[in-house]
Amino acid sequence: MEFTWTPEQLDLRSSTRRLLETRAPLARTRELAEAGQRRDEAAWSAMTQQAGLLALGVPEEHGGAGGSRVEQSLVFEEAGRVLLGGPLLPTVLAIEALLAAGDDAALEEHLPGLVEGERTATLAVLGSTGRWRPSSPTTVAARSGDGAVLSGTEELVLDGADADLLLVLARAEGGPTLYAVPRDAEGVTVERLDVLDLTRPMARLHLAAVPARPLGLTGGGAGVVERVHRAAAVLVAAEQVGAMDTLVARTAEYARTRRAFGRPIGAFQAVKHRLADMAVQLEMSRSAAAWAAFQDPGSADEAFGAAVAASYCGEAFLQAAKDTIQLHGGVGFTWEHDAHLFLRRARAAATLTGPPSEHRAALVPLVLPDLVAPGHTEVPS
Amino acid sequence: MTTTAPLTHRDLVADTARRVVAEHPPESTPRAEFLGACFDAGLAWVHFPRGSGGLGVEAGLQDVADSILQGAGGPVPFSINPMGYGMAGPTVVEHARPEVAAELLRPLATCEELWCQLFSEPGAGSDLAGLATRAVLDGDTWVVTGAKVWTSLAHRARRALLLARTDPDAPKHRGLTYFVLDMTDPGVEVRPLRQMTGAAEFNEVHLDGARIPDTHRLGEVGDGWRVAMTTLMNERRAIGGGSSRRGSGSIGAALQLWRERPDLRTPALRDRLTALFALADAARLTGERQRVESGDRPIGPEGSIGKLVGAELNQAVYDFCMDLLGVEATLYGSYDPPDGVDDETDEHAGPHDVQRAFLRSRANTIEGGTSEVLRNILGERLLGLPGDIRVDTGRPWREVPRG
Repeated sequence: MEFTWTPEQLDLRSSTRRLLETRAPLARTRELAEAGQRRDEAAWSAMTQQAGLLALGVPEEHGGAGGSRVEQSLVFEEAGRVLLGGPLLPTVLAIEALLAAGDDAALEEHLPGLVEGERTATLAVLGSTGRWRPSSPTTVAARSGDGAVLSGTEELVLDGADADLLLVLARAEGGPTLYAVPRDAEGVTVERLDVLDLTRPMARLHLAAVPARPLGLTGGGAGVVERVHRAAAVLVAAEQVGAMDTLVARTAEYARTRRAFGRPIGAFQAVKHRLADMAVQLEMSRSAAAWAAFQDPGSADEAFGAAVAASYCGEAFLQAAKDTIQLHGGVGFTWEHDAHLFLRRARAAATLTGPPSEHRAALVPLVLPDLVAPGHTEVPS
Repeated sequence: MTTTAPLTHRDLVADTARRVVAEHPPESTPRAEFLGACFDAGLAWVHFPRGSGGLGVEAGLQDVADSILQGAGGPVPFSINPMGYGMAGPTVVEHARPEVAAELLRPLATCEELWCQLFSEPGAGSDLAGLATRAVLDGDTWVVTGAKVWTSLAHRARRALLLARTDPDAPKHRGLTYFVLDMTDPGVEVRPLRQMTGAAEFNEVHLDGARIPDTHRLGEVGDGWRVAMTTLMNERRAIGGGSSRRGSGSIGAALQLWRERPDLRTPALRDRLTALFALADAARLTGERQRVESGDRPIGPEGSIGKLVGAELNQAVYDFCMDLLGVEATLYGSYDPPDGVDDETDEHAGPHDVQRAFLRSRANTIEGGTSEVLRNILGERLLGLPGDIRVDTGRPWREVPRG
């Protein structure tokens, strides 16, 4: 039932919080971001090998811990609290893609290493346009012997310079198809990008006749990516909630202690009311994100919940990040203060799975089904 | 050996409701008689004590009773006597002396006596505790003089919840006393108050020497503010309850208009509509989450979120509808009072009602707690921010400037 978490799930939340507070606190996130590093190795092995966070959502027959999107979203909420970036999100989404593609040989080959955290993976599915358009990939798959070779440019690939395995969406004869490519394969050129969100490195990948293995059915790639896209929207929304929670707590604390005109600034209604709005939007975001996580992956309810959460939480977190800076005054604008890390994350996360307006467009056929005429192009998919 | 499973409170409520429906078929039983049977069976407010319209069980079980009673075609008493059921009942049962509660509750529950609430005054809205209506003791009777405003149903109500000042020399919160007023008293005059929509949902009530027996005082003299808190907490709960159906409420009206008027659609308006829909759904889910998470416990300050968001959402939705209508938005239905309607309501029905709803929605952020007061509550009680500077604390009410 929605909004009812089991004791095990609540334990997972608190143990993940403890783990991240000790091994990957916000201060560590900042150090990594400033040093241009994708992860803290000790924290990564604690999260994966010890805590098994990547095994959540993976069925037991594939070496996972079972569980559902609810568990995953609890973990991402905690990750959002400390702005944990790096390989976590891309690897989880790649695991989702492998599972959705349902290719047994590929699952056997890749899943154990990914779940254990020994290897990492990422999606390269936005093509040269950098947009979520899984029905029209720009990378092209050509036949080569009994395999395929991929050529094209993949923009905005999360962790693309360092992930071990790339899952690339390419146009094949039978339709969009997902392929597995080792990042160090011959023909892959990596270009690191300067990014707004310093916690999430990205790369541009150039593929020049790179040998690749198809995953699942030829022509089934668009469906896999759509499914992963919804998972991404739900998990990013959970991250946004966690990050917003940190912002509300920290900014309220600042407003209770910082004094001006002889009073804590939180006593002034201009400050108090803006903070109240932050708290309201946090609670609303929490509801939207949690409801989406409780829906069955692949269901129409999940599509609905993901669209509402992505639209609402993305904008709410961005507003909270801006308000945090405003309410901190000058100190909030310094490099030393963490506020800009949140603003960077908020700005990037609001469009990571496509801009809020695209998520809202996806709501139209769900909210007003009678208005979608055949051939109508309201939904970008 | 046989064992009998203990009767859970839920079973008790459900069994009782089914028995009432069986013994008093709603379609053939007069309304007052049916509601009287519900009261006698303890289903009017299931959490009230037995004998006072309740069964002494969890308030959350009221839904169990209501769904059986109303599912069988029974009336919805809350919609007939909203102030009675929502606020007066809980206040009376908690604060009236037992024989007075016994006298008042049953006719309230049967809706033979409708109730209204005499709190706000022309000079006291958000600062309710600063109100000026005076009650002076004359023997064992209180004599009340003053003016109240924004009173729904006053013209049909038999009784009123009244907050009046009994000690002007005490600081404002400590000089108030709470009463139940008989609206048929000759010192009570009710005048309709025409609002900006043209309708008159509310009244002004002038009190000129209205008399109240001391037995109809709720709580101690000077303790009226505490008693009023019972009423106001129940008011927010009644308003904030809201619908939990996706796409209902004002956003439903906007979707309906969008369906009916394909000629008015533009991509920019579509994005606004879906953004409002996402907001409405996040608000709906927040209400649902708060209900699940609070269980049978009362909701804390976060309960104010539903009222705050719902009010601003309504305004944004009707702003959207007006923009959608374009030039047509400049028309208005009618300023004449509707024929044959006793109580004017401003609900959405008929042509040009978007315009009426647009005007009506301006009150949403004022009535039942202004958005400014709600933001103070959230800032102070949810986030622990310091209170406003108060210049009236501790000063006799008489000495505080008023406007």
